[in-house]
Amino acid sequence: MRRICRHGCRIGLLVGVLLLAGCHRPTPMPGPENGKVRLVYWTAPNPDELALARELVAEWTAANPEVEVIVQPIPAGQSSEEVLLAAVAAGTTPDLCSNIWPGIVEDFIEAGALVPLDRFPDFDSLLEARIPETVREPFRSRDGHFYQLPWKTNPVMMFYNVRLLREAGFERPPRTYGEYLEAARRITADTDGDGLIDRWMGYRDIRPIWWQRYFDYYAFYLAASGGRTLFDRQGRLALDTRASNRVFDFFARLYAMGAFPKAVWTSAGSRFLKGQLATDFTGPWHLIWLEKHAPSALAYDVAPIPVPDDHEGPVYTYGDYKNIVIFSTTRHPDVAWRLARFLVSREADRRLLERTRQIPVRRGLLDDPYFASVFERYPVLRRFAEQAAYTRSVDSVPDLKEILDAFAQEFEAAAVFGVRSPAEATRRALRRIQMILDWNA
Amino acid sequence: MPELRATLRRLQLRLRGERSGYVLMAPYLLHMAVFFGYPLLFAFVLMFHRWDIVTPMEFVGLKNFVRLVRDDLFFRALLNTGIFLTIHIPMQIIVALFFAELLNRPLRGRGFFRAAYFMPVVVSGVVITILFQQLFAFDTGLINRMIRALGGEPVPWLVSPALAMPSIALMATWKNVGLYIVLFLAGLQHIPKHLYEAAELDGANAWQRWWHVTLPMLNPTMVTVVVLSTIGGFSLFIEPYILTGGGPLNATLSAVLYIYNQAFYFNHMGYAAALGFCFALVIFVVVLLQRRFVETDTWS
Repeated sequence: MRRICRHGCRIGLLVGVLLLAGCHRPTPMPGPENGKVRLVYWTAPNPDELALARELVAEWTAANPEVEVIVQPIPAGQSSEEVLLAAVAAGTTPDLCSNIWPGIVEDFIEAGALVPLDRFPDFDSLLEARIPETVREPFRSRDGHFYQLPWKTNPVMMFYNVRLLREAGFERPPRTYGEYLEAARRITADTDGDGLIDRWMGYRDIRPIWWQRYFDYYAFYLAASGGRTLFDRQGRLALDTRASNRVFDFFARLYAMGAFPKAVWTSAGSRFLKGQLATDFTGPWHLIWLEKHAPSALAYDVAPIPVPDDHEGPVYTYGDYKNIVIFSTTRHPDVAWRLARFLVSREADRRLLERTRQIPVRRGLLDDPYFASVFERYPVLRRFAEQAAYTRSVDSVPDLKEILDAFAQEFEAAAVFGVRSPAEATRRALRRIQMILDWNA
Repeated sequence: MPELRATLRRLQLRLRGERSGYVLMAPYLLHMAVFFGYPLLFAFVLMFHRWDIVTPMEFVGLKNFVRLVRDDLFFRALLNTGIFLTIHIPMQIIVALFFAELLNRPLRGRGFFRAAYFMPVVVSGVVITILFQQLFAFDTGLINRMIRALGGEPVPWLVSPALAMPSIALMATWKNVGLYIVLFLAGLQHIPKHLYEAAELDGANAWQRWWHVTLPMLNPTMVTVVVLSTIGGFSLFIEPYILTGGGPLNATLSAVLYIYNQAFYFNHMGYAAALGFCFALVIFVVVLLQRRFVETDTWS
């Protein structure tokens, strides 16, 4: 019995030690033994961006031999935001990260996870030189500081199949809802006569996933409302209900006439390549994929997303901004800032354009001769650069994810299934958002 | 004096015996404390706080509960869970009873069938759900291909809001029915033969014997099956999470899936704890009602 007691105590002690070890908060990675400063830099996990980051860092460290930078893709997870939140909670954030969605920044600030960038003496001058005030201000945090360095934008635009539209009698892409619906009526068809539609005007993922709505509801809402986001500068809900109703109505018509399939496809891109889709709403990153996979016979181009028939003024869209932040776990904020500065230099921006076909957030991009050759080589990219001036991001409000989810739920009900009127869908979304806001107040 | 010494000695021995008892119980108590007691206590604290894991916890009083009563989606999720239970439990009982009756008869290969029906119970729920995802697929699913081959119209198993939850209930029944077959089988084998003989002597036909002897005698098993499948049904999560994500039109959003979404998708830990608490209350009341109405004294 005494032996059992002894073993029991040992096992208990071991379990206790393991549990305590589990509660241990990891300390930042120690510096390398060669006396160099070590930084960890997380970048987007896609191969092109990762390769670009490695290339840029290699150049920067060659000029700064006292620093060692470890470039890592953001660890795998359902989304980058989830992984970053877990890293913040665990205190395992890198020194800097270049794939930050502005919608998550307020949460990080509240957690004290970010370094305010305006504490660096050259931040203001850099931002002023790089970005116009109208683009700059939305990135200012609620406490008045800047915690993110606007890096790149990926405007959501309409890719279209030139031949299909031409055959339908459209020499230029549809610009309004009326034109788009008319094109949809002419293009949607059963081409092989088996009784099933096999050519559609477009496709959108019908699952109520909040971020999928960037490519339909939110982008179209920004266009229809003349660039008005969901909240005003004071953080009050300021939805343009008329614009919202019109977007729901537009998509409801498309789904009702079968111009958009009610299906979940793993790749809409491949259907676009085969000529089964006349249009596809996505960002400029899609260009690289098209260049690699599009058959030579496929003629495609890019245009702004359609707007209501009586729309006047520029066509805004969702910009899908991704920015650079420095996490407060860094032991070398000044060195991290130097690297961040390099990542937004003209050379780096040019390579971002060339290698990833993504648009750097930079003033005068189209007028600067330094970038001219890139746009000459990739003329479609110019359309995205032109659109970049008319993009909006998301509002810096808490619980944005759930707020966008409210629209995703209503999009499914009103547009995909048509079980609710557009006005009812907008009303319900507003009611749910108000509930979330009241709870948060 | 020697008596006192003897008493002390006995006490010492008893304490030593008890001490080893406590040591032997320690792993279980530790497990309970770490994985049950602490989370429960923490969930109770969380109900009155707002916490998204990364920012400091903030006391909000009853705000989580105020939101809960205004939350349409939670009530929708409760309704969906109710719909699932309404389809799943009767289907489970009927199918399980039917097969238990069959397997209770002298049947060739009885042992094989008993094992075969139990097999899905031990297979991972995720694996079975993925399998059914392939079977239920609208365009390419095996079931719809068979229906098409027979000249019928494909069925929107998971795409139609009206059919999605019944489809999930069908799958859940297929997965769990083996366990309930075993329970009913055990119940059937414990019914004394002389009751059937007495009923036969009284002129009862097969149906009357089943209705007036078998069914009442199975009541304790029935209560177990109803309570177990109710609790199992209330914890419906894997199937809608993998198959439909709660859609279409939130028709398969179960209460546990909604709580999970609030906790781990939107990082509303406090609100999820409040939802979990209310949901636990609902389960408690339902199980209490079931015991009140289903359970009867078999021998009276």
